[in-house]
Amino acid sequence: MSGTLALAKAEISRLRRNKRYLIFTVALPVMFYLIFGKQKATGYGVAFAAFYMVGMASFGAFSGAFNNNTIRISQERKDGWIRQLRLTPLPANSYVVAKILASMVTTVPSIVIVFLLGRFYGGVQMAAWKWIVCLLAIWIGTLIFAALAVALGYKLDPDSVQPVTIVVFFFFSIFGGLWFPLSGALQKFGEFTPTYQVVKVTTDVIGTGTVALVNVIGIVIWFAIFVVLATWAVRSTAETV
Amino acid sequence: MSHYGTGYGTARRDGSPHASATEYGTDRDYQSTAGYASTASTSTSTSTSTSRPVVSFVNVSKQYGTLKAVDGLSLDLRPGETTALLGPNGAGKSTSLDMLLALRKPTSGKIMMFGSDPYHAVKSGRVGAMLQSGGLMPEVTVRELITLVTTLHPKPEPIDLTLKRAGIDKFADQRVDRLSGGQTQRVRFALAIVGKSELIVLDEPTTAMDVETRRLFWDSMKAEVAEGRTLLFATHYLEEADQAADRILVINRGRLLADGTPAEIKAKAGARRITFHLDQVDEQFLLGLPGLANLEVRRDFVQIQTSDSDATLYAVLDAGLRPRDIEVTGLGLEQAFLAITAEDDAANGSASRGDDLR
Repeated sequence: MSGTLALAKAEISRLRRNKRYLIFTVALPVMFYLIFGKQKATGYGVAFAAFYMVGMASFGAFSGAFNNNTIRISQERKDGWIRQLRLTPLPANSYVVAKILASMVTTVPSIVIVFLLGRFYGGVQMAAWKWIVCLLAIWIGTLIFAALAVALGYKLDPDSVQPVTIVVFFFFSIFGGLWFPLSGALQKFGEFTPTYQVVKVTTDVIGTGTVALVNVIGIVIWFAIFVVLATWAVRSTAETV
Repeated sequence: MSHYGTGYGTARRDGSPHASATEYGTDRDYQSTAGYASTASTSTSTSTSTSRPVVSFVNVSKQYGTLKAVDGLSLDLRPGETTALLGPNGAGKSTSLDMLLALRKPTSGKIMMFGSDPYHAVKSGRVGAMLQSGGLMPEVTVRELITLVTTLHPKPEPIDLTLKRAGIDKFADQRVDRLSGGQTQRVRFALAIVGKSELIVLDEPTTAMDVETRRLFWDSMKAEVAEGRTLLFATHYLEEADQAADRILVINRGRLLADGTPAEIKAKAGARRITFHLDQVDEQFLLGLPGLANLEVRRDFVQIQTSDSDATLYAVLDAGLRPRDIEVTGLGLEQAFLAITAEDDAANGSASRGDDLR
């Protein structure tokens, strides 16, 4: 385990130096929130400032766990870094575990920054436990995207992984309602996405202080699906990595 | 014993299945005693003159679809030995090393390393390796990378010593993704020695190195070997194999064609070449000459590869023949290697010649 932690630590220090990563996980959500956060509207029964806060926090966190990892994993697989690690005493699954750990650690600050912005710029006020539950919900949602990133990173070449990543991520961001609240037919369709589950859980907590079981189950199911996909992707490429 | 299946063809071709059975019998004996040997120190295994092998391939094959990349490979590596793996592109060198390092699974056969399977041997940190296909983590400095991999090993070399030995201390604070090809290669070498491992496996280690770097590389490699490490390396540079290796394994088409010291390999291929002109060539007579390894006749021009040029030449003269323009030249390892693989390619997949050479 200490080896896995050492690798996760190295991954984190790499991420800190990565400008592209900082732009997507921190700069973009902050910028969007500053521009759109103060609209006089509501979303899912809460003030827009609150909705947009969890939306942008999710956007930054998921993008950090997903966009960055798909491209890294695919590239490092091609470059042979994963192969080189397999020649060390590090256990076989450590590479993936360390990547996910690093993502989970680095997304916390990006969520917290957007939350601080929501509190002091957007004027969102709620009980302390609600802040914590919202943070946890988005954080757990990040795991879903880290798992999907592993699946895509192992299966796709660096050339094709970039466009696929962008399409998949924007699909889930827009149709999951991270950018604007869904309604009508769009909502009927978007209700199935993992991103929607996270937005719904957090806005429910903010608005009513309750959580619908169906959204919790939704999160669990999506996580299970992507973990199965990731496991399959890692196993099926074992001889070519 | 089902995994010895592919070896059966060899036995049948020889017409001596018993000889083969005995040969495999020793492998089986080794495996049954391996359990005891792992608790005793190596010096107590006195049944044979050589100590317990570090690595054993027992009739290992690897099939990719219809292509047989490795075909019934059996070999042992002994502790402290420096072994070169020679073979043309596509001979199965990399696949063999991949299987040894638990990156690929053999289709059939068995590989043992330090009395355990390859995966657990690698995970115990007793093997250090540098592969052509191995890459480095980008965006970190050389020192950070070496420090990381050092912490992954149970009994590592001190970081500064690794940097010095691999000759990378001068650019330790540069970023890994900004190094030249030769520098990158040295960092990869550092990763192979960082764990102070008992076995070091190198696949084409000096590719992309300039002459000076290559010399430095072999100097530091010799320091590793002097500390009692076992070294296995694949190479295209026959000169390196000749100078650095105690033992050379020639493989072609996934099979072991020759196994011996560099001198033995040269001898097996016919270490010298005799050429002369002769009227009325009698090929049947020439084929029966002592030491003859290969014969080529073009009208009155005769070219013989022989393991004993004196005996061959005396036999020609004793038969009353008087060849003209006699030339005797020594063959280097390169020609020996080419001769061995060309002979195998001519035989096109028949295993018997390879076994003769062995």
